[in-house]
Amino acid sequence: MRGIKARQIDRRALLRVAGATGVSAALLRPVVAGAAQEAPSGSARVGVSEDGYRTDERANVGFYPLNTGIFESLVHLTPDYQIEPLLAEAWELVAPSTWRITLRQGVIFHDGSVFDAKAVKYTMDRIAANGGGVMGIGEESTVIVDDHTVEITPTYVNMRLMQQIGHPNNSILPEGLNPAEQRIGTGPFREVEYVAGDHYTVAANPDYWGEDAAGVGEITFRFYPDPTSRLLALQAGDVDLIIDVPRQSASQVEAVGATLRTGPVGAYEAMYVNINGAEPYDLGGDPAVREAISMAIDRQQIIDSAWQGFAEPGTTMIPPAILGDSASLVSAPELDVEGAKQVLEAAGWVAGDGDVRAKDGRELKLTIINGYGTAADHGSVPELLQAQLKAIGVNVEIVQTPDTATYEQRLAVGEGDLWLEAGSQNDGNPCFLPDLLFSSPVEGGDPESTMYGRAFAPGEAFDTAITAAREAEEVSDVQKAAAEAMNVVINEERVVIPLCGFYRIIGASSAVAGFDLHASGVNQRWTSLTLNG
Amino acid sequence: MLRFILRRLSYLVPVWVGISLVAFILASLTPGDPARLALQRELGRQPTAEETAAAREQMGLDDPAPVRYARWVGDALTGDLGTSYRTGKPVLASLAERFPTTLQISGLGLALAVALALPLGMLAAVYRRGPIDHASRILALLGASMPSYWVAYLLILLLSVRLGWLPVAGSTTWRHAIMPALTLGIGGSASLMRLTRAEMLETLGQDYIRTARAKGLTQRTMIVRHALRNVMIPISTVLGMRFAGMLGGAVIVETIFAWPGIGKLVVDAIFDRDYPMIQGFVIFMGTVFLVINLIVDIGYGLIDPRIRLTGR
Repeated sequence: MRGIKARQIDRRALLRVAGATGVSAALLRPVVAGAAQEAPSGSARVGVSEDGYRTDERANVGFYPLNTGIFESLVHLTPDYQIEPLLAEAWELVAPSTWRITLRQGVIFHDGSVFDAKAVKYTMDRIAANGGGVMGIGEESTVIVDDHTVEITPTYVNMRLMQQIGHPNNSILPEGLNPAEQRIGTGPFREVEYVAGDHYTVAANPDYWGEDAAGVGEITFRFYPDPTSRLLALQAGDVDLIIDVPRQSASQVEAVGATLRTGPVGAYEAMYVNINGAEPYDLGGDPAVREAISMAIDRQQIIDSAWQGFAEPGTTMIPPAILGDSASLVSAPELDVEGAKQVLEAAGWVAGDGDVRAKDGRELKLTIINGYGTAADHGSVPELLQAQLKAIGVNVEIVQTPDTATYEQRLAVGEGDLWLEAGSQNDGNPCFLPDLLFSSPVEGGDPESTMYGRAFAPGEAFDTAITAAREAEEVSDVQKAAAEAMNVVINEERVVIPLCGFYRIIGASSAVAGFDLHASGVNQRWTSLTLNG
Repeated sequence: MLRFILRRLSYLVPVWVGISLVAFILASLTPGDPARLALQRELGRQPTAEETAAAREQMGLDDPAPVRYARWVGDALTGDLGTSYRTGKPVLASLAERFPTTLQISGLGLALAVALALPLGMLAAVYRRGPIDHASRILALLGASMPSYWVAYLLILLLSVRLGWLPVAGSTTWRHAIMPALTLGIGGSASLMRLTRAEMLETLGQDYIRTARAKGLTQRTMIVRHALRNVMIPISTVLGMRFAGMLGGAVIVETIFAWPGIGKLVVDAIFDRDYPMIQGFVIFMGTVFLVINLIVDIGYGLIDPRIRLTGR
């Protein structure tokens, strides 16, 4: 959906900005390559979830989903979702669709080879060979200008390239490297041992080029698919730190003598209203029903009860930090139960038998679908929503799907009114998710690919705002336009009902002295991990 | 004996074809687009329409179902079970890589179950209504009523957290295999213990046992040489089924103990609609079940020559 729309961008509008320079960033990390740093000491053991690496032609061992710090991308996503230079020093837009990227000099890979434009081209060509991804990298997209400059021309006009390119899946590999067989990067850690499904050990890179070097001599990541086993491993002393503790188990972390820490919001929970459904799932098409629902939701109760305090009230369905200063432009509707009742009364939905409202003989009955990411992710949230909506006379039936695939199958045929979702943001592009979910669908498109648009797209106002966000050049303009687009779906059309932004939770033993938790798990930098003694 | 084995083998062909058909139909009927799910997992976000369409074409999902079935069966007969959508690795290689690890804990679990259940079940029958009988009944009740995940957590709390003897989870040393095997063994021993007791009681009431006793045979000889051999026929049936069940159903234990076995592999495949892996698993495990059944059938013939002779 996003790709199709991106290709529909008015090229004349883009020519107006042709030649304009993009973000030109200052050096964030002075280069210290060649000067070996004092080796940190200590071995840390970290309990992580299952080993999710691929080992085929799309191999991502070492960098996704567990980013061990062996590899680095051209840019880095900060914990507040801004982009900062990493292996790229600066970048500019030199044509409607060409990004010229100046690479950092003096960086070496762990095997001693020099990081240069060939590595970037090899990496981008590998991405192109695997379909090009959302960045639209084609076989001819990447051109070497000189040893430390490349130009990337995506297959469509992509103004958001630099916000996407920092995703760990775009980590830079030395020329010819297959990460299924070997892991050699430029990062603050180098590989010691990888045993699939069991553990991954990395050691501090003494020749790291940046100041953000490793704080421990070695880290062993142990894979525990079961979160309870992860917690028990912390209790047994098998690991010093566990990542992504389920909120249900959070209280047990302190009970076993460890310290509980939370990170900034990088994931969200929201409910979407089907506004284009056919009977019996057509009630979301009534603006009064949507408005009343949005006013009846008590977010604090959801956070206190279902999320056990490990979340904060949501204002959007992406991390607000990604909108920068424009985050203040979006706010979720306030709780106003009496107001919600009045809205329904005014629209002709009057209280009937059993306190359920009705209009023209039809009950105000809605179906909420719970199953994305998984039904378990939402805990008791569906039941709380059911109770809160009952208070304004809306009868809610809960349908729980066994997995994401079944959820999407149901969405593809529009069988449901309210759709409960949880997700996370892992790159710096604020318009990707709203664009994908709420842009008007392409006529005749594949049912599964257009299912979100067919159910939730509010129409022209959103399309205009999100197109502006997609096409804007300055980051602040992107953020502002994305905030305006969010405003359309949240406050004007009330298609999105933000519930909460939830925290990542970790448990640390007394051996851990410091660790800065990133909002996005896949963008975690392990250099901040230090041990006592 | 050879004719007996060949006849049993000939029965396997239509069963195998049936398994392949069921595997393919069930996987295909499962809701969800494997291309979208594979991309979601790989990209960590919703894929675009173009990405999904390209992936569907690459996976051959746009072909009609009969074409896909014929292609899959044809390849399967040559040992090619396809390539996993999720990992990109050949299915057979993944199964072959994971199966021995599951075999380790299942084999050890079964051995533990037999070592616990057979003596206790026999003693419970011989000393009926005595202390051993009561104790074995309580043990069997506990074993049958405790879900495997609960047993697993209890073992971790005791052997790892409290005593510090064993690592919580992992797979790199023999110590890692102990708790998964114990969990499987405790679960498996309960029904086996009760079955052994019941069969032994019935056998001990038979005329030939009374005759043996009248001839002055010692209790030990009578039980070991005469009763046990007859008891082993129903027990070997249950053992075969139990072992096959352990091989295919150790997923919870494998997840809790981070044991990289075949059960965890297939559950992940089901969630990701990884058709080649699901189908490959069903056909692989179906074949394993058939082989185990064949071995049990042959075992019957060895234990009781009457079965071999009558062709039952």
